[in-house]
Amino acid sequence: MGGGVAKRILCACEDVTLDDVRHAFEQGHRDLESVKRYTGFGTGPCQGASCVGLVARALARLGATPAELAPFTARPPAAELPLGALAALDPDALPVVPGVPPEPEVGLGEEAPRPSASLPPQARVVIVGGGIMGLGLAYQLARRGLGDVVVLDRGYLNAGASGRNGGGVRAQWTTPTMIRLARRSIERMRDFATELGVNVWLRQGGYLFLAPDVEQAARLERNQKVHEREGLRTRLLSPREVLEVAPELDPSRFVAAAYNPDDGTVFPWPFLYGYAARAQELGARVCTFTRVVGFESAGRRLTAVVTDRGSIACETVVNAAGAWSKEVASLAGVRTPNRPTRHEICVTGPLKPWLDPLVSVLGNGLYFSQSQRGELVGGMGDPDEPEGIEQGSTLRFLVRYARALTGLAPITAAIPVIRQWAGCYDVTPDNNPILGAAGFDNFLQLHGFVGHGFMMAPAVTEAMAEWMTGGAKDEIFDRFELSRFDQPDLVREDFIIG
Amino acid sequence: MARLDDPRFAPDCEITFDHRRVPARAGESVAAALLAAGRALVARSPKYHRPRGPFCLAGSCGSCLARIDGQPNRRTCRVPCRPGLSVESQNTILGADHDLLAVVDRIYARGLDHHTLMTGSRLANRAAIAVSRQLAGLGKLPAAPPAPSPPAVEERFDAVVVGAGPAGLGAAEALAAAGRRVLLVDDAPVAGGRLRARLGLPGDPPGAWVAEVLQAVHRAGGEVALASAAAGFWRDGGPLLGVLVDAAPPRLRAIRAGSIVLATGTHPQPPDLDDGDLPGVFAARGLLALHAEHGVIPGASAAVLAENRGDEEEAEAVVVRLAAAGVPVRRVEGARAARGTRRVAALLLDGGGEVACDTVAVTGRGLPAADLARLAGARLRPDAFAHFELSADGLTLAPGVLGAGELLGPRSAREAADEGRRAGEAAARG
Repeated sequence: MGGGVAKRILCACEDVTLDDVRHAFEQGHRDLESVKRYTGFGTGPCQGASCVGLVARALARLGATPAELAPFTARPPAAELPLGALAALDPDALPVVPGVPPEPEVGLGEEAPRPSASLPPQARVVIVGGGIMGLGLAYQLARRGLGDVVVLDRGYLNAGASGRNGGGVRAQWTTPTMIRLARRSIERMRDFATELGVNVWLRQGGYLFLAPDVEQAARLERNQKVHEREGLRTRLLSPREVLEVAPELDPSRFVAAAYNPDDGTVFPWPFLYGYAARAQELGARVCTFTRVVGFESAGRRLTAVVTDRGSIACETVVNAAGAWSKEVASLAGVRTPNRPTRHEICVTGPLKPWLDPLVSVLGNGLYFSQSQRGELVGGMGDPDEPEGIEQGSTLRFLVRYARALTGLAPITAAIPVIRQWAGCYDVTPDNNPILGAAGFDNFLQLHGFVGHGFMMAPAVTEAMAEWMTGGAKDEIFDRFELSRFDQPDLVREDFIIG
Repeated sequence: MARLDDPRFAPDCEITFDHRRVPARAGESVAAALLAAGRALVARSPKYHRPRGPFCLAGSCGSCLARIDGQPNRRTCRVPCRPGLSVESQNTILGADHDLLAVVDRIYARGLDHHTLMTGSRLANRAAIAVSRQLAGLGKLPAAPPAPSPPAVEERFDAVVVGAGPAGLGAAEALAAAGRRVLLVDDAPVAGGRLRARLGLPGDPPGAWVAEVLQAVHRAGGEVALASAAAGFWRDGGPLLGVLVDAAPPRLRAIRAGSIVLATGTHPQPPDLDDGDLPGVFAARGLLALHAEHGVIPGASAAVLAENRGDEEEAEAVVVRLAAAGVPVRRVEGARAARGTRRVAALLLDGGGEVACDTVAVTGRGLPAADLARLAGARLRPDAFAHFELSADGLTLAPGVLGAGELLGPRSAREAADEGRRAGEAAARG
């Protein structure tokens, strides 16, 4: 076209070509859920209406199986819903419900694709959970020479919270430990592209925390002092100063703000693919659509991981299953206090850049940012959400989010939501992770990250790999042991958003 | 000639496209006016800035988005014309025709992989992230927030029928005949679905049938909501249907109904061709409706391309109508590529050779518009692409949710209407 080389566009909304789909397939992303996430097809304004058929036919020609050609999970809304129109519904008339579509999602139920390759019979390390933690650890182990690692996931890569989060990364925490980890993570993300050859699209547009009242403003002030001691560039801003950073906000909705220009956002999907690809190049194996059903043990050690596709004998087991880690631990007879809890999220259609920072409101849990592709990505926690693994989408969330967002940023009333979904926070009693061995000497825990695992993963997995390969043991592996919950005086992290 | 010579189709107002005046007929879609004025290129693609224009003409694809009256990312095929309406192309430098950013398509002739783009050095990577952010995104933020939407209250109907094509009309007819208060919803501004193409096939419902059904719905106390998109079902004990009424400002209606009949039909799929995304390539069904309702002649020479099994009746109708309007038309069985710069200029054939044409009508099976059904609990069969598991009656998709028409598979309009009636009767029995 125009003198250039012809392109066979399969997804016109996102300019995804047949070559892109073929490349994804050759990289092992064979099912429609995975190809959607790897190529981005079906994520634009038409939400797949004009491309799922074409992409499926292309995959069928490449050799995909019927199970791999199941059209990806339907996500509401089925038509664009302007935030302003949504805000006109009464959220209190809408109860907390499981949501839609009814479980199970495509790729996560009985009819999920069955991999044809057999499982390795043994490995030094088996990591349960192919999210950001498991894959990050596999990469960090492999680059330290421990490549005999198998990562197991029940679904496709990015099926869990790692592929469902808003991509926020911030150093604005309340304790020196968390601040140190987060800063290290952001440093690693800055180098991710050059080190791993894969873009995670880290954009340091800052994080803006808004305090709606004086009580919350006092929290921000306390934190800012901690941040200053730790060397963060966090500043307190008046409502008027906030408008210089985010001009579309209504300054009457908050009394103070904290802003750190070094915080930012990443694009979650390539993050996992980058870790997975490089880990595999260094010898690790990543086995998707493989469900752990039990463990074998001898005395104080686990000896094998049992899956629905066979057993893997191993020296070390890592539980990195996120919201499912409680379930995984219980298969080994280990009780953990995690409480998986749904958090919902949505995106609007793509717009030119108009919002630099990620904005978060203390108190109501609203957060939103503009993605690299121009969509407004945001969510809001629901205090009435019960514990449990539930990933359905509700109208209640959309309405609560729309009300809070259009109140704070009135211009957003004109923007339509094009897709909503949900994932689970892996909540712990003190909002801190569970690390170190539990139940068995070689059963290592790497979960309980309460919605911020994504941003902690680079630093935590680096430290854990260092320790597992004979290096120094970071204090977090003692501080955050499971046994702390038996002690009084838990130190609680209270800067959780969403 | 870009419109049939008939006073019913004569322009009666003007809109603007990128500040240039375009004759239009009030009420027809922006896409219809632009095509009648010879303009197929209305947008540029997000990544490569390839020329784009209306394809489906039915509100389902995302190829024709423009900024309309200050609102970004509106589908030109769904917004009606009125005097003075301002339409602007988006995501371009110097406008859609001569977008300087089209150079991206040539620089990245072999594609651009967002995973590995510019990962060589830290500096290049930082620059890539900063630049790509400016290039990404389609429309600009609206200039001002809309007026507040009126509070939405819950409304109740005996039944909701989504889709006012032959299947949905059949269902609504049966429900109204049983005395049920039905809400018939369609995102198109006109009822009829594929009947709007007016093929007049043997066995097709007679021309007056559409209006008769709408009257019957009204007589039974129901409502016909056109230009209204069913945005989803969110369960909370009973089924809740959010309906977006595309008015200014957009208004959300919360509907509860005893039963739901889904007759959402199919989404046309673009052709599987190199450069098949060029402006001037259209879904045949949309093109036929545009011709029948607005007298629009989309170009000066045409090809009809059968894809994914084709559709003989639609292909023949395109040939007959365009030929009658003096447009040379050729049927094409197998093509490998389209060629053109700002609009399709030719189809390159499988066996060699090419057909010169500025318009391509694509016929063939669409993709079942399954999202609403799946959100309502319908399950797809694992062994067949995008087809449903149905209960023994062949109609029930999920408790309280029935399907009919092309959503369930290929059917003639007559078969779809009959199936819709059966679904409506079943829904009326509750």
